[in-house]
Amino acid sequence: MSRALSAELFKLRTTRTSWAVVLGSIGLVVLISVLAATTGSFSVTDDAGRDLLEIAGLVQLFALVLGILAIATEFRHGTITPSLLAVPDRTRLVLAKLICALIAGALLGLAAAALCAVIALPILSARDAGTGSDSTTIINLILGNTAACALFAGLGVGLGALIRNQVGAIIGALGYLFVVEPLLGVIPGFDDVVQKWFPGGASNEAAGTSGLDDPLGQIPGGLVLAAYAAVFLVAGIVMIRRRDVSA
Amino acid sequence: MPAIEVSGVTKRFGSTLAVDDLSFTVDRGHITAFLGPNGAGKTTTLRILLGLVNATGGTATIDGKPYGALEDPVGTVGAVLDGGMFHPGRSGRNHLRGVARAAGVSDARVDELLELVALADAADRRAGGYSLGMRQRLGLATALLGDPEVLVLDEPANGLDPQGIRWLRDFLRTLAGEGRAVLVSSHVLAEVAQTADEVVVIAHGKSVAQAPLSELTARSGGGMRVAGPDAARLGDQLRAGGAEVHADGERAILVRGRSGEEIGRVIAAGGIVISELAPAGSSLEEIFFELTGAEGGPS
Repeated sequence: MSRALSAELFKLRTTRTSWAVVLGSIGLVVLISVLAATTGSFSVTDDAGRDLLEIAGLVQLFALVLGILAIATEFRHGTITPSLLAVPDRTRLVLAKLICALIAGALLGLAAAALCAVIALPILSARDAGTGSDSTTIINLILGNTAACALFAGLGVGLGALIRNQVGAIIGALGYLFVVEPLLGVIPGFDDVVQKWFPGGASNEAAGTSGLDDPLGQIPGGLVLAAYAAVFLVAGIVMIRRRDVSA
Repeated sequence: MPAIEVSGVTKRFGSTLAVDDLSFTVDRGHITAFLGPNGAGKTTTLRILLGLVNATGGTATIDGKPYGALEDPVGTVGAVLDGGMFHPGRSGRNHLRGVARAAGVSDARVDELLELVALADAADRRAGGYSLGMRQRLGLATALLGDPEVLVLDEPANGLDPQGIRWLRDFLRTLAGEGRAVLVSSHVLAEVAQTADEVVVIAHGKSVAQAPLSELTARSGGGMRVAGPDAARLGDQLRAGGAEVHADGERAILVRGRSGEEIGRVIAAGGIVISELAPAGSSLEEIFFELTGAEGGPS
């Protein structure tokens, strides 16, 4: 397994696409953090620190894309063939990709949140606007974003194995998170369920950025997201084992 | 034990029977050509052998084991399959290093292979910019990473120029000469005629012949072709002697049932002038068309 994992980590860092996703999303977070921290108007009662750290949550979507790419790109370019020739056990190949995605997702989430905190919080104190958050809250938010990104990347691997079509998987995933789940979330009486128990809601819970008055909490939220990731991974592994690799 | 053994392999895609109860073996030290027209089921068979496509029935083994059960697949079998096997944005060197890591092969071996297939200079360029010939050579380098005893190549000469084909032919000869088993699929007979020791011919997913190349050529019994100004007169004399003679154009005849020497005696006795006397041996193409039932036209 360590060989397969080492190969996956190597493959991840030797394409421009991976770097574009990672550096692009972090750059976006830094840019928005600086703009928000310098231009936003915060009153003393606002939870300004928390609001600013929520910006880092943006990278969760990119972590999901990174996970999808880890496997769907192999089908797109036919590199799945040499990958499977070197690692014929398909479950092992997917698990190696999973571990690789968990590591990459966690690093992305950690880097984005930590950078966001390092940039935004000093700007706030320089402007004499209280952060409204103690250091424990800040650390929990950073760890929450790290976990949410890792889990989303893992879910992406399962989704990629299941759908195999790169564009289809990415559009499907983003369409769900941006359109379907928000629409479900406005159904009266159902909104609470969606925001706690559906994938997008669960990721907010895990990251500690839930907007609900009575949130599930970060650890239960993380477990819900992990359960979704597990379902997609199991389905993806079952399908990838069954299907023919003919291109 | 043969290096490769395909036994009763069947593959059904929906209602299409792509491979139908196919069996053949490949021995070490030989180049075995896997011949058939496009769509005959060659690629599907090779992908079944390599564990990429699941067979509907039958078994395909390498050293007696299915591909997935090999302890060191890259060190046992090297494969070059059709189609893009590279990420266009990754350099040739990094492509090889990625596979090398998965197989536990050193980076030094990667550099060695880049030299061997004459890609060292282009190794750090993105593979998307490689020519077809360079891609084929990168594919070969990938296949050889683990120094395998068995090689499986799907249409390796596709897109190669004449020099490339000659290079490949010599290369495969060397590999077989080292005692490796080489299985090469092709739909182009000319490639195979000068390379292969054994030939497996398939059509519509079924094996129609498996034999040494020389035996297959001899099987045709094409007779002798004689050309020259007096060819017609010679034909009459041979026919009178009981031989089967066909006109082959204005100034040539095709003789069956007589050896070259026998014909020569008739020529000498009759004081006949000829310009050419050679075994006709219907071309490998004709045997191929005969065996596969393929038409001459585009398929």
